[in-house]
Amino acid sequence: MRISGLYLRYRRKDPWVLAEVDLELAPGSVIEVVGPNGSGKSTLLRVIAGLLRPTRGTVTGRPAIVGYAPERFPAAQPFTVAGYLRHLAAIRKVDESAIDEWTSRLRMDHLLGQRLPDLSKGSAHKVGLAQALLCGPDLLILDEPFAGLDTAARAEIALTVDAIATRGGIVVASDHQGDLRTLPNVTRYEVRDSRVRPMTTQASEPILNVSVRLPLSRASLLAAHLRAEGHEPLLSQDETVEAAE
Amino acid sequence: MIALTRFRIAGYARSHRAFQPLLLLLVVISLLYATGVPVGNELSSYADSAAILIPAFAWAARGLLDTEPDEQRMIALTAVGRAELASGLLAALACNTILALIALVWPLAGGFAAIPPVGTLATGIGLHALAVLAGTVIGALTSRAILPSPAISIVALIGGYFAILMAGSSSVWATFPAMTWMHAANHGDLATRLPAIVVSATVWIGLGLLGYAGLRRTRP
Repeated sequence: MRISGLYLRYRRKDPWVLAEVDLELAPGSVIEVVGPNGSGKSTLLRVIAGLLRPTRGTVTGRPAIVGYAPERFPAAQPFTVAGYLRHLAAIRKVDESAIDEWTSRLRMDHLLGQRLPDLSKGSAHKVGLAQALLCGPDLLILDEPFAGLDTAARAEIALTVDAIATRGGIVVASDHQGDLRTLPNVTRYEVRDSRVRPMTTQASEPILNVSVRLPLSRASLLAAHLRAEGHEPLLSQDETVEAAE
Repeated sequence: MIALTRFRIAGYARSHRAFQPLLLLLVVISLLYATGVPVGNELSSYADSAAILIPAFAWAARGLLDTEPDEQRMIALTAVGRAELASGLLAALACNTILALIALVWPLAGGFAAIPPVGTLATGIGLHALAVLAGTVIGALTSRAILPSPAISIVALIGGYFAILMAGSSSVWATFPAMTWMHAANHGDLATRLPAIVVSATVWIGLGLLGYAGLRRTRP
């Protein structure tokens, strides 16, 4: 997928929200978009999702199946969580078993009977993520996916992003929490002053390894939790150290 | 697209918005048929009903499209692409068809002195179909995706309807021909003017749909 010479503004004669944007989104890549509030991150995500048309420039090669989770899930709808997700599964033409899978993975089974307007912010956010993931997207757009989520759900989202990229999908997310930074192949872009620029990795302080002994069956969950916290877990067994998958 | 249409109708039906245009329609047709319609005047009554109910159909279409939050509309756009537009219009048409059926059946049950001939019924159905299409287009053009301000939107809806009535009195081609069909039905020459009315109505509805599709290209 490629964005070439993109300019965007909402009204004629308004200042450019985005200007001179050139991006190559290769299959398997995870793009983290950062920047100050109001800098145009959500606008960039909407352009990539195909919701906004560039004023100038082109967006080519967008994958067919796009999952989009907005920053604020629209909870003011007269449905229960289960009813809403059933409708979305039908719209996406996916089997309803996908609902069970994602409500289980995001630990929101207990919310299924609740009405959307009654949900807490974090619970509503999970519904927004579930609907975006139901369709098995080749392009996943997540606008602040980790905001208000519990640790387990954050870990699950990080694992899911990694899995989508591993199978050749593209993930683009704005992320103030930095939960994606420990994933491999994450490219960071900063939106500032209408421009989108790649960010170089900053030199960090010295690295310290901390070992934890635990049963093998719990290792991947702990690794996911640590990734969600911004750490880089390494799993070791029988004196052999290898990077966690 | 059908699943999205079903989702939108379900959302609209569960909201209180559906009652507002329904109540307006019930008030209008109960007033229209309150004194009864003598034999031979059924066609002019149907013509008046169809033209007068256009704002109710527009209100219903606007209400249906605006029931869905903006972010949900964007989710729908990523799911089905441009078919999202057609889905919204189809959902509005389905709801307005129910309103039009009420308007058509009501006088048969209690307004007309006698059941009118089939030709009159068919013309009445046709005029209400044109009114439903026009109302749906006006509702879409004044929906939140196009006009985010509720105040401007309702002024545009009512103002647009009055503009249609005012401009329509001069020529069948000047605007959507609701005024023309009311005038023709009340003067007994609807049958001769019907072809021009249908063509003009189709052209104006087509232009409205093109306008809506064009505006939505930059207003997701």
